[in-house]
Amino acid sequence: MLLPRFEYRAARTVGEALTLWAEQPGARFMAGGTDLIAQMRTRRKVSRVVDIKQIPELNQIRESEDGGVAIGAAVALSALCEHPRVRERYPALVECACQVGAYALRNRATLAGNLCNASPAADTAVALLALEAKVVATNMDRSRVIPVEEFFLGPGKSALEEGELVTEIVLPARSAGFQGSYHRQSRRRGMDLASVAVLVAKGGEGAPRYRVGLVSVAPTPLRVRAAEELMEREGPSAIARAAEAARLACSPITDARASAEYRREMVGVLTARGLAALA
Amino acid sequence: MSQTKIVGTSVPRVDGLEKVTGAALYTGDLKFPRMLYAEVVRSPHAHAKVLAVRVDKALKVPGVRAVATGRDFPFHTGIYMRDQTIFAIDRVRFVGDPVAALAAETPEAAHEAAQLVEVDYEPLPAILDVVEGIKPGAPLVHPDLGKYYVESFITPKPGTNICNHLKVRKGDYEGALAKCAHVFENTFTVPQVQHVPMEPHISVARVDLSGKVEVHTSAQSPFTVRHLLCHCFNLPHGDVEVVVPTVGGGFGGKAGINLEPIAVALAMKAPGRPVRVAATRAEEFYATVVRQGLTATLVTGVDKKNKVQAQKMYYLWDCGGYGGYGVNVVRAAGYTCGGAYHFPNVWGDSIGVYTNKPVGSAYRGFGMQEIHWALEQQMDRVAHELRIDPVEFRLLNCLGPKKTTVTGQLLEKSSGRVDKCIEKVDEVLKLRARGKKKPFHGKGIACAVKAPAMPNNAASSVIMKFAEDEMLEILISGIDIGQGLATVAAQYAAEALDLPMERIRVRMRPRTDFSPYDWQTVASRQTWATGNAVLRGCEDLKRQLFEVGAQALGAPVSRLELKDRKVIDKKTKKSVPLAAIVVGYQFPDGHTIGGPVATSAHHVPDGLLFLHPETSQCSKPVAKWTFGAQGVELTVDPETGNLRIERLVACYDVGKVVNPGLIKGQTFGGIVQGVGTGVMEELVIDGKDGRPRNASLMDYKIPTALDIPDKMEAFYVETPQLDGPLGARGIGEHTMIPTPAAIANALYDACGIRIDSMPITAEKVLKALKEKQRREKEGEDVQPAAASVAKVRPPARATRREAGRERPGGVRARRGRAK
Ligand SMILES: Cc1cc2nc3c(=O)[nH]c(=O)nc-3n(C[C@H](O)[C@H](O)[C@H](O)COP(=O)(O)OP(=O)(O)OC[C@H]3O[C@@H](n4cnc5c(N)ncnc54)[C@H](O)[C@@H]3O)c2cc1C
Repeated sequence: MLLPRFEYRAARTVGEALTLWAEQPGARFMAGGTDLIAQMRTRRKVSRVVDIKQIPELNQIRESEDGGVAIGAAVALSALCEHPRVRERYPALVECACQVGAYALRNRATLAGNLCNASPAADTAVALLALEAKVVATNMDRSRVIPVEEFFLGPGKSALEEGELVTEIVLPARSAGFQGSYHRQSRRRGMDLASVAVLVAKGGEGAPRYRVGLVSVAPTPLRVRAAEELMEREGPSAIARAAEAARLACSPITDARASAEYRREMVGVLTARGLAALA
Repeated sequence: MSQTKIVGTSVPRVDGLEKVTGAALYTGDLKFPRMLYAEVVRSPHAHAKVLAVRVDKALKVPGVRAVATGRDFPFHTGIYMRDQTIFAIDRVRFVGDPVAALAAETPEAAHEAAQLVEVDYEPLPAILDVVEGIKPGAPLVHPDLGKYYVESFITPKPGTNICNHLKVRKGDYEGALAKCAHVFENTFTVPQVQHVPMEPHISVARVDLSGKVEVHTSAQSPFTVRHLLCHCFNLPHGDVEVVVPTVGGGFGGKAGINLEPIAVALAMKAPGRPVRVAATRAEEFYATVVRQGLTATLVTGVDKKNKVQAQKMYYLWDCGGYGGYGVNVVRAAGYTCGGAYHFPNVWGDSIGVYTNKPVGSAYRGFGMQEIHWALEQQMDRVAHELRIDPVEFRLLNCLGPKKTTVTGQLLEKSSGRVDKCIEKVDEVLKLRARGKKKPFHGKGIACAVKAPAMPNNAASSVIMKFAEDEMLEILISGIDIGQGLATVAAQYAAEALDLPMERIRVRMRPRTDFSPYDWQTVASRQTWATGNAVLRGCEDLKRQLFEVGAQALGAPVSRLELKDRKVIDKKTKKSVPLAAIVVGYQFPDGHTIGGPVATSAHHVPDGLLFLHPETSQCSKPVAKWTFGAQGVELTVDPETGNLRIERLVACYDVGKVVNPGLIKGQTFGGIVQGVGTGVMEELVIDGKDGRPRNASLMDYKIPTALDIPDKMEAFYVETPQLDGPLGARGIGEHTMIPTPAAIANALYDACGIRIDSMPITAEKVLKALKEKQRREKEGEDVQPAAASVAKVRPPARATRREAGRERPGGVRARRGRAK
């Protein structure tokens, strides 16, 4: 399919990006473009692409006010995966992020893009959910903070309003140190979307805290609190029941990648594997 | 020439530098002045009548320069059977069938105009399944089948959907089956798959104002493209030139003729303007060509000594909407229907069925991977049922010298040795001498055989000439699509003329106006055919050099030798450098003899005969056979169904390893393609509307570097082919033939399940494992052998069932079970 004609504008500041968006109906923000451009070939009509990759302040990874880490919306996933501070404090995120596509793709694709695209198959979304990250979004009038829990509304649908620009994603201090175990099933090992994936994270001071997140088995990335609570209450002896809780929590569909039955079955298997790996 | 210096060594590829530097130009790189861009309007229906095609609105789009529809060009095309028009005229036969095409100043204008072409369709019932297609009374995909031009060796059945039917009748199948102690029947299926070349199909055509047609195209066979274009448009061969720039992968998909007629049709409508037609990746999947699907039912009768006495093969091929090329796959699968085995009594039917699906064509292996998927699993099942080691069983029943093929051809010592390949794989993987078996860890083997499927007169030729600095130039029209043909051609010349590789240039971008004739780059025939032509050409060059050298040196020709770029008098040790001869030798007094040294040479297969029309019996139906075997070692994840292929060992009898590096590349490449089709590839065509469901690289997966076996090993047996260049025979396609079956057999060894339907996805594996567990729980026979669905029938009953069932429907074809 041909890429339809569109106007390309690169913003240098957040303010310019917002203006470029506002002055042209049908404009859209672009980070790496790895989702957007592909969608523009087939279904998404965009009159103007507002590139945010060249905005210096969005290209930073910095300490956030609460002692966590804030990741700028234009930071490439490969930079994120190599960042020493992120690697040390949020290994679960890195584990998921380095599963996205392949090297070449990660040199362009961003965390914010993965999030804003709101695909149920997004590999990093599940980590952000498990790590209770917050999304900072700005428009002409205001800035607001959206907890990732409230961000996903359905396939391709998020809590972002038209014209809202995500500037950064903040990982809270309290999720630092969570170890992750990401188990992913796909049709092939390289460069494929997850048919189903499960992230299990474990951390916290004192008694271990658990986080269980599911990919590609519901309209949005899914967190399974029932499984987490079972593990926190009863420890490793509850693995089988926690896996069952995850199996029941999902609502998969059949598509080109896998059948609903297989997906549900894998949620159980992979959750148990993740929990066992961290136990 | 027993001791070779260059043939047999891993000289680097002669086209390596231009490929890695980006210097090599592909058709898509070519920019012609005033070039127009085309878009093809394709059928959204699997089967429909075309009532009207209206193009007036499309023509009003600014920039549109030409439009072509079926009525403008009512000409038939197709390599073995002319059953296709350039654009559908009154009927479309698959989703993607071209109906019209437009050429415009920009791709955008062409695209916009294409949306404005209005076509009125009247949908017809579609055949989306071969078993339905062959039923009496099924709607006909080609009601005019009886009117098409068909090559003499293709036998369609007008009034049905059968586009070709090859029968193999050897010995007394029924009589032998009646005496068999054990009879087994199983059905296997293979879906349509696509070649997925890195470079999609693309052609640029121009018709100049004098009427001369020039086509630049990504194709495997420039001369066949020209020949078929001339037939299609009724043009003299002298007025059509086909040029093939560097090609980015073919795998059979660029054999025969593809987009070229569309490009030429548009070019005729826009004289003087080059018109570029390029397939998108989506079109590549469903609108160019695919590999045929197969439903295969096999019956094997074995005697008390574990020898197969009677074998029946019933192959139903899903040829798609047109059979132009696919009918010959049907034929090849027929005369090779028994694979690498000696079956004394054979009943074989290979039947091509038209369906309303993408068009089948050549694909690396030409039907062989598909039939081996069935045959090699069948042999494995039978061995397990009989509680005999699968390696033993194969060695007991395989082909070899003094054995006869299904067509009754007596094999000779020089025909190649599958037994040695089996033994090598066994030795390396320790299939028989294995220790204790680990759970969910298995090993399996499958054999392979293939002959070149080509007309009996398929020829290759070369032109060889010296430049002034005694650089040897070799013009070939075989296409180097990665297999290393150019390198191999240079190696043969270097060997024969004792030239260093760097003194040879192979001209490998043929233009039919100037290049030597070559039938096609298919059939794993180029090393063999072009190699032979080069060696023959070298003999003639040598003769010319010696003729002049003899006079220059004042010595008889019998005393001369060619060495170190000199013609040397062996007695006096006096010599004359080639450079002094290659454009004419000048004596000290100034007078000149000889002249530019150049030659042309050819190769045509020797003594091939037609098959008997009713039985296919024939003493020499093909030029040569290449045998081989592959073994797989894998582990199964019993909870996810994932396979991990730990080791893949291949062994082929190639006659002579011409270039160890290149053949390893071919072998590993074939294995990877075999793994892809074996475990993940399938073009999903919707069973209701016939639309492709995964026509993109997002949804149709081929293996990446992470998906290849952990370890691949390649070995070669060298039983010289008598008519092969220094003993070599073909290998290109064979490397992917046995892989899926070997994986399937290893899977059975690992956990006692059989997957009859390719590909072996994790999901099918898990489902079959669960099914097995369920059966075991319910207390069914839990021995591994019984997990196979092979039927052991009492011979008497079996014989009764088979008796009197000679029609194609004799073995009821069943859909393979997905497990
Ligand atoms: C070959 C290939 C393989 C892939 N493999 C995977 C995979 O394995 N796993 C996976 O999860 N994904 C995969 N993807 C999808 C994609 O690469 C990821 O989702 C990626 O993270 C998207 O990031 P991006 O920066 O390219 O987003 P873009 O394409 O730039 O944007 C995505 C969407 O978010 C919006 N957007 C972007 N930035 C902002 C912002 N700051 N504020 C508001 N809206 C914004 C855009 O308008 C667009 O709608 C793959 C894609 C390709 C092409």
